[in-house]
Amino acid sequence: MITESIFFLFVLDLLAFFSIYSILNLSLNVQYGFTGVPNFGLVFCVAGGAFTVGFLSTRLAAWIFSIDISGLNIIDDNLIIVSKINAVIASQPFYGILLLIVVLVFAAVVGAMLGTLFSLPAVRLREDYLGITFLAFGEILNVIGIAYRDLVGGPPGVNVPDVWAWASGWRFAASTLTIVFIAALIFAYSEYLIRTPFGRVLRAVRDNEVAAAAFGKDVARYRLAAIIIGSMIASITGALYALYSACVTPTFVRFHWTFLPWLMVLLGGVGNNLGVVMGTAVFYTIYKLIIYYKFALAGVVPFDVVWLNYILIGIAVILVLIFRPQGLIPEKPKKMEQT
Amino acid sequence: MILLVELVTLREAITYSCILSFLAVGITLLYKTTKVPNFAHAALATLGAYVTYSLTSLLGINPYLSLPVSFLIGGLVALCLFFLVLEPMRRAKASVTMLMIATLAFDIVASGAINAYADYLQTTFKISARNVSLIRMDFQIASLPGVFLTSITLIAMTVILLYLLLNRTYLGISLRASMENQILAETIGINTTFTLMLSWFIAGGLAGLGGTLLPVWTQIDTGVGMVFIASMFCASTLGGLGEIYGAFLGGFLLGFAELLGTVILSKTLGTWVIPYRPVIPLIILSVTLLVSPRGLAGILVRRRSK
Amino acid sequence: MLEVYSLNSGYGKLHILYDVQLNCKEREIVAILGPNGSGKTTLLNSIFGIADVFSGSIKLDGQELTGLSPHKIAKMGIGYAMQLQGIFADLTVEENLKIAAKMVGITNFDEATSTIFGFFPDLKKFLGRKASTLSGGERQMLTLSISLIRKPKFFLLDEPTGGLSPLYSSNIIRSIAEINKEFGLSIVLVEQNVRKALEIAHRVYLLVSGRINFEGTPSELAAQKDLMKLYLGMGE
Repeated sequence: MITESIFFLFVLDLLAFFSIYSILNLSLNVQYGFTGVPNFGLVFCVAGGAFTVGFLSTRLAAWIFSIDISGLNIIDDNLIIVSKINAVIASQPFYGILLLIVVLVFAAVVGAMLGTLFSLPAVRLREDYLGITFLAFGEILNVIGIAYRDLVGGPPGVNVPDVWAWASGWRFAASTLTIVFIAALIFAYSEYLIRTPFGRVLRAVRDNEVAAAAFGKDVARYRLAAIIIGSMIASITGALYALYSACVTPTFVRFHWTFLPWLMVLLGGVGNNLGVVMGTAVFYTIYKLIIYYKFALAGVVPFDVVWLNYILIGIAVILVLIFRPQGLIPEKPKKMEQT
Repeated sequence: MILLVELVTLREAITYSCILSFLAVGITLLYKTTKVPNFAHAALATLGAYVTYSLTSLLGINPYLSLPVSFLIGGLVALCLFFLVLEPMRRAKASVTMLMIATLAFDIVASGAINAYADYLQTTFKISARNVSLIRMDFQIASLPGVFLTSITLIAMTVILLYLLLNRTYLGISLRASMENQILAETIGINTTFTLMLSWFIAGGLAGLGGTLLPVWTQIDTGVGMVFIASMFCASTLGGLGEIYGAFLGGFLLGFAELLGTVILSKTLGTWVIPYRPVIPLIILSVTLLVSPRGLAGILVRRRSK
Repeated sequence: MLEVYSLNSGYGKLHILYDVQLNCKEREIVAILGPNGSGKTTLLNSIFGIADVFSGSIKLDGQELTGLSPHKIAKMGIGYAMQLQGIFADLTVEENLKIAAKMVGITNFDEATSTIFGFFPDLKKFLGRKASTLSGGERQMLTLSISLIRKPKFFLLDEPTGGLSPLYSSNIIRSIAEINKEFGLSIVLVEQNVRKALEIAHRVYLLVSGRINFEGTPSELAAQKDLMKLYLGMGE
């Protein structure tokens, strides 16, 4: 059966992750590419979205679907509760979709709040202070996730309801399709945003803060707006990732959720949405190849080959920065309107 | 209400503050010199920690003997970052954000390399390299741990030597001149590439020194530096990102706030607060940036000009 | 003698100077005049290796300067008083002077400064103070002194009267003329204050939009009423 074909599943998984990363990279593009805000703490909002799913989805589902969970502990009896919820979703696709939309909305709201929280201290300051603030905050959610067991079950994490349980054999096809669809929506939104007057001000803020301020634009407010929009998108990324994996663990590392997005955005060409998506595709292919071939090295080197990932990718970024900082597809200067 | 803090806690706070200060002063020095926050700085401390651990475990020598080696290696690696990565980018007029990403990338490479090295130690030399410590190898004087005495001695020496270097030597004055106005310094004949390299070497070396103290004070792992990232930037910002001596002040203030704060809070609110310790530097960083972005030094400057 | 041949220079992709040709002989004061943005500072920056030289040649007493790094050029007997931030604000006045002197091997500070203090006696009072505490005119004196203490043969000056009151401006201009007479320093002077510059210059170049438009003596330039009006804003 095609749905059981390993290759088919592999392609679906590839597509799903490509879409998830595309969404995250678009978030970074809105913040850095459009507005010049160096968000080195993307992981903060990604984890925020995922934790929202981890914390709320079970509770929400139980409440909305009127499932009796009295006497059960949300964390300790997590598996039991989730399987009850999945049983309901399996028979009622509408519930699955409803739950999906509701948690995504919550995740977006949480993303906006987190975005406000960690940018407020530095939003009036220069890029270096912003960078420091973002980076420092990025480290914190894992700490809280591990320490506060009721959030996402501590280090082992929790399972979350499978909103695509109704698709049974075609679960992965359904989930991938949903994610690709959402990615397309967000791409369309970004393209739209950049063409609005708001988008033009963002670019003005990026290119020449002083001039933008002289025109009466409150630079800090626009930055904040860009950060909030970006954070909402990043949070959705985390939520989708959690829903796709049907589980949440407090292991959101800077490398995967902050650093790699930067690499992909730089590769594709900053400020250019299409370029960002292409950069994601190019990078992801290379990344998969590296993972595939490094196993060839597994026996040869006296250390775990996963570290080669870090070393090679870090060097790759440095080389891109030194030799081709404008990326594969540099931003085309937008035509000026005739007044 | 008088909160009795045990002397042991005070001692630990001081040791932690010293290590933090070694890292923070490097951040400040490099920011003053190159106008870039160095996100790879913590990796230099991890490097120092593993240099010490390796030398001690493999050669059986006293951990403190590796201080000069850590300094040297920390300095050299920092030089690599400056000379091989940042200088070419600065010459191409790269933006601050690009430079920050470069330091992030270097941090990733360094982490990978340190982890690979730890694996190598384990497989080739059959010694454990993760979650290890050298506390048992520390000496004691009058029931005070050697790491406490060494760290305060080293900090005091660093402050004094740094002051003498920067204010009483021509090299130091040319360093300060390069830091402030690189182009003007060139026009009076200062080879600023050299002076910048020197400041990177010193900053990296100090991070290495801080790293040496780590395995003798606590358990280390390949990610030990990472734990310090938020704190060291917070300490540096608190003192003022451009004020070298402010880094020591910031290091001690934050070190005390973190350690003593956690102990006091755990006594009053319960031990559950302990894993939330990393929130403290974040709060202090946020408050500092909201109230006085130039740190405490900024407040002093404002008062003086009134 | 300082010679500039067919200089094309700028910054990165920005091409600012086009085929600039000029020279400054021994003991001469050469003034470079022109409207804002014409590239006067770029010219001085090019000589000192701070701007990017695309083509052309700059020779100091026969030695080629293009391609050398600024700190090497600085040790060839040429000084540069920059327009903005010509001092190290964080250092004390004494440190400012000492480090400038030390870089050319002068270690007898008292001897070196005696001449400086002859010209700018006020500086003696400020030795221990941080340069940031100095007023505009005092900073200008310090800027000049930093270059002078190095005993250069050639002296590049970028708008030394910039932002100064008329009194201070006159003083500075007078000092420059005296320095030229007393020490035989050759001076390339970029100035916005046309009248003052014409008072002391031996020869004048007019730089407009990156090209040399005129070369001659001050009186020859003053006679060209249209040039004076068009580019230098000097009416009848």
